[in-house]
Amino acid sequence: MQALDEIKATVRLALWTLAWVVTLALAKFGPQRLWDTQQVASWAAVAVNFAVGIGWIVAFTRFLRVIDELQRKIMQDALAVTLGVGWVVGFAYVVVDAGELVARDVDIAVLPALMGVVFVIAFVVGRIRYR
Amino acid sequence: MKNRITDLRAEHGWTQADLAQRAGVSRQTINAIETGKFDPSLPLAFRLARLFDLKIEELFLDDQ
Repeated sequence: MQALDEIKATVRLALWTLAWVVTLALAKFGPQRLWDTQQVASWAAVAVNFAVGIGWIVAFTRFLRVIDELQRKIMQDALAVTLGVGWVVGFAYVVVDAGELVARDVDIAVLPALMGVVFVIAFVVGRIRYR
Repeated sequence: MKNRITDLRAEHGWTQADLAQRAGVSRQTINAIETGKFDPSLPLAFRLARLFDLKIEELFLDDQ
């Protein structure tokens, strides 16, 4: 029963993740390639991506509640490291940027991408640690 | 926290996967508990003790 619940929650999370990625791509590339920078369509795409993002968050919290307790610990440890890195690097960049210490602006998308990489590494390290 | 799970599991002729299935957790969780890398939650500790027909303090030993 537990295994079945875990599979269901994992599939739901995978589908929400896929939906979020697709709507994000639509919001990012749609204005240039699909609807020629019409503001209404662009705002609608962003709204859909935001709504799907909320669904993804809900699916992720449900997934965390259902999974095996060791897997939950590994996941929570990885999330803690990711949040820490996001905060530390994010605020360090704010200070560096405010002090005009870097010559050119860094794309804001670098931060969530970095957090994604950190999460994957921390998750793999956790899996190895409790192997 | 030390425990007697490895010995008791062997006495019952169960693999880690067998015990994991009976306790409703992953094999990795059973392995991590046996090697002392992970302390189970109270509900899981009770479930494991019940599977071996023991009291929780007979299965888990306070090493402090």
